[in-house]
Amino acid sequence: MEKTPTVTPTVNRRAFLNTLGVTVGGTGLIGAGLVGGSQLLKAAQDPAKGRVPDTPFRTGHMTFLTGAGAVLGEPSIKGHTMAAEEINAQGGLLGKRKIETITADEAAGTDACVKEVRRMKLDAKIDMFTGVISSGTSPAVGPVAEELGLLTILTDGCTDFLFDKAIPNPKYVFRITNIQSSDGITAAIGVAQTWPHVRKIAHIHPDYAYGRNASEHFTLALERLVPGTEVVSESWPKLFTTDFAAHITKIMSAQPDLLVASVWGGDYVAFYKQALRYGLFDKMKVASTIAFGVAPHAIGKDHPEGVLAGVHSNYYFTYPGGDRWPLNKSFVQRYFKRWNEYPNFQSEGAYMALYLLKSAIERANKLTGGWPEDEAIISQLEGLGIDAPSGYLYMRPDHQAYKDAVTGFSKNLPDYEFASWDPARIITIPIRNITAPLGWPKPGTTHNESTAAANWIKTTWPKVVG
Amino acid sequence: MAFLTIQILNSLLYASVLFLIAAGLSLIFGVMRIINLAHGSLYAVGAYVTAWLVGRGIALGLPPGWLFLLLPLGALSVALIGIVIEPLLLRPFYRRAEEYQLLVTFGLIQILEDSIRFIWGGTPLSADALMDALPIIHIGGLLYPAYNLVVIGIGVVAALALWVAIYHTKFGVMLRATSQDRRMASALGLNVGLVYVMAFGIGCFMAGLGGAIVVPTQAAVLGMGIDALVIAFVVVVIGGLGSLKGALVGALVVSFVRTAGIQFFPELELAVLYLIAALVLLVRPTGLFGTA
Amino acid sequence: MKPDPNAPRDHSLARLAAAMAPVLLLLILLPTFVETYQIQLVTYGLIAAIAALGFNLLLGYTGLLSFGHSAYFGLGAYTVAFVVQRLGPHSMEFYILIGIPVVAIASALFGYVCVRHTRIFFGILTLAISQVVYSLALKLYWVTGGSDGLRVPRPALLLGLLNFSGPRGFQQFITSYYYYVLAIFVVCVVLMWVVVHSPFGKALQAIRDNEVRARFLGLRIRRFRWISFLVSGTLTGLAGILWVPLNGLTTPDVLYWTFSGEIVFSALLGGFRNFTGPIVGGIVFTYLKTYAVATTEYWQLLLGVVLVTLVLVLPTGIVGGLSTLGLRLRKGRS
Repeated sequence: MEKTPTVTPTVNRRAFLNTLGVTVGGTGLIGAGLVGGSQLLKAAQDPAKGRVPDTPFRTGHMTFLTGAGAVLGEPSIKGHTMAAEEINAQGGLLGKRKIETITADEAAGTDACVKEVRRMKLDAKIDMFTGVISSGTSPAVGPVAEELGLLTILTDGCTDFLFDKAIPNPKYVFRITNIQSSDGITAAIGVAQTWPHVRKIAHIHPDYAYGRNASEHFTLALERLVPGTEVVSESWPKLFTTDFAAHITKIMSAQPDLLVASVWGGDYVAFYKQALRYGLFDKMKVASTIAFGVAPHAIGKDHPEGVLAGVHSNYYFTYPGGDRWPLNKSFVQRYFKRWNEYPNFQSEGAYMALYLLKSAIERANKLTGGWPEDEAIISQLEGLGIDAPSGYLYMRPDHQAYKDAVTGFSKNLPDYEFASWDPARIITIPIRNITAPLGWPKPGTTHNESTAAANWIKTTWPKVVG
Repeated sequence: MAFLTIQILNSLLYASVLFLIAAGLSLIFGVMRIINLAHGSLYAVGAYVTAWLVGRGIALGLPPGWLFLLLPLGALSVALIGIVIEPLLLRPFYRRAEEYQLLVTFGLIQILEDSIRFIWGGTPLSADALMDALPIIHIGGLLYPAYNLVVIGIGVVAALALWVAIYHTKFGVMLRATSQDRRMASALGLNVGLVYVMAFGIGCFMAGLGGAIVVPTQAAVLGMGIDALVIAFVVVVIGGLGSLKGALVGALVVSFVRTAGIQFFPELELAVLYLIAALVLLVRPTGLFGTA
Repeated sequence: MKPDPNAPRDHSLARLAAAMAPVLLLLILLPTFVETYQIQLVTYGLIAAIAALGFNLLLGYTGLLSFGHSAYFGLGAYTVAFVVQRLGPHSMEFYILIGIPVVAIASALFGYVCVRHTRIFFGILTLAISQVVYSLALKLYWVTGGSDGLRVPRPALLLGLLNFSGPRGFQQFITSYYYYVLAIFVVCVVLMWVVVHSPFGKALQAIRDNEVRARFLGLRIRRFRWISFLVSGTLTGLAGILWVPLNGLTTPDVLYWTFSGEIVFSALLGGFRNFTGPIVGGIVFTYLKTYAVATTEYWQLLLGVVLVTLVLVLPTGIVGGLSTLGLRLRKGRS
């Protein structure tokens, strides 16, 4: 990683975006800074070495089964279930150990989640823990998994706080989705790329950790990419609000060029339906970090076109599209066949968590034979690269996964019963260019920024001029 | 000034829905001395039933105008649930301490919330065909959906109808008599059981109507009931439990303060309502229009 | 109606000791025959029991239903978290030493406001105050961590004598912490027993049963209620202090009104007319919720049905129901 001097240098925007590796049009498949080359699925064909027990491999999957978060939780459990079914159809892990899953409801509250993880490990004797959606839950259960020595692959709960502060030196806990700060940065890059002339900006974010994080990192990145913008309106609706009439009128009265939103799930559905009828989308550009993060069919055909509709910078089922990346095509087909709907980023994350594990176990087995110890699985997971429906996935040695950040613009295609992405305008960014590099000082060490990413941007990003 | 007009209309829109929920809550408390914690969940049921009916209606090819007839159906279905709940679950508790009624309705929340998810799943249900059946109007160069005016109208009509029903009908006399002294009313030959069922049914109808008219403007989502309960509670605390006038004033205060909060103090949006409720309670524990 | 302060107290303490001895013995021996998981669940249960016991001084003995006891539980938990963040020492005794005065002051303050009212208005006021505290915890995120909450690592016990930083630290911590909580639990039970059987406790019950008569007797009603609130809030706050190291972090969830609902649920589940009711209720509720969540995704439905059925079938709670049953059996035999 090249370090730039601390005095903020200046560059021209086009050059900067090129350095960031931003591509538009969905042609980029850059590879998430792959180190060791990808481990393809064909590895699975080799027979396992040594004696492998045929006892079931028990996983515990935690996600929102009830309440307002269930709109994200349902796809998560569906992705997990499908991966388990596929692996079991081939005989299970190493062809022997069938995956069994018990679930836990994240909506029971963070204290109940802590109890649940302990119950799953100590009472139900799970071998691995997966899942988690809320960025309030991952810092709660991460340390618990560490103290229990419970192998964990979080499939969301992507807050920077988890590896910045809650468990700065994780041993057992991995996370497969992109880190949260990249969400705001991705949206900012999308804006700089598409609408570099916006000046007056309005914000609407749910009033909790995720909204704060999205707002902060969007603003930080935009200050570098499009200097001279000003915030003309701010709204902090309570999470799980559905009445946005007053927020919408307030935003419109400030007459901004751009609205930045990180409202998600059912809240976003309610928001866009109201904003549509108030004519908000005609008066300004709208950039969202996570509008299309819900299950695709939750968005209606009435969703306006041309909105930067983020997917938590992770995955949308139409990308990589066509026959260019058969892994995604077949994943989407199988998912649709199994559940009669399209996957979202939660589905893909939960699905890939099991395949990542499978790959690590197979690699470890090749080395040592027999069923690998947790230690061996962990050392294989660290630095593992694998092909995923979303593209190349790479697990950094610090346990935070890397995959290209992706975002796109809404468009009504005849192929789907809902608004989806314009295939010609999908934006991809190599994740290494928008995430603090491995080993960057964490908050509370050499700096006191809210996240390592914030410090990294402030220290190393140049400022655009002209 | 167009923005101001629209913010006022937005506040009235929110107030209409809040009034419907809070008036039902207050009516039930006034007559039966029960705080129905499941009231918000009943509101959610109204929203879900309506959204589901509208979906069926569109699938069957009903013309948009006809879909409006489904709104009262959504509300009626909730009233029906209320008529079942009262004799089955609440009646056994009238002679016992009020804590028990609170607990039963606390249990009802959980039963209703999970039933909604069981029946309709986690994906939001929308009924915006109703909204699109009416034009979008222009107010000083700004857009405003005419359907929102219908919601405000329904709120006003409901308030008037409730007023007339309670203060100018024989049934209203019976309600008020029962609310003031159940034993005396019973001794005078009133069928208290019937009055209770009716009051509870009407209260539930109001909640259901609130849900029915709000769902075309937003969407039916899980957890909307709990959220509504908390805010309706703030309304009745400010206005005074058991008072119709209180529910009306409380709904107006809450919605205008909330809009002002959103407009001027976005950081305080969450806290400002609780703060007002606590302040009112400190000065007038029975609320603005409540009686002890 | 001034009860003799000495005679009944001695008698009742002896009765308490006799009743508690076998249960206590069982609890002391528990770690020898159950797994770590059950130990930590019982620890949670004992903490919930302390919270419900404190709560019940208000409901059962003073006749005031608080729907805002999450505030005191949460304040206890957050105080510990602040101590960890700002002052540093990882000592449980230190947490308790700082935490108790904080929750006592908060209870005294809020209680002073709340006891001016009774019945449903008291309930609503307590609820509103707890919601204000909740929204503050969410809003002041630079102090409280907002929805992320604050982390509390495992503290050392007994003035640093017991430390749990090794690789099997968690398992060791759970067992030691279980005994630690058990000891405090016993102290709380004895303390509460003394309180409710003291002249003060008798006065509370007199006020509960007939406020007018109590006033004629010259009892300063509001002051009695206020002290009752203070003791009640402090005990529930202590439960919060004990809870947070076990849970590892505190979030605004424990300040939300539904958490108050769970405390009320616990007390009624066990039976608020009995001294032991809330204790049993706290433990049973902990198990009930844990296993409901574990068994089915429709755990809320299950909890709701159990709650409604219990209230319908066992109006006096588990302990009340059992003692009625016991009475009947004894009558049947004689």
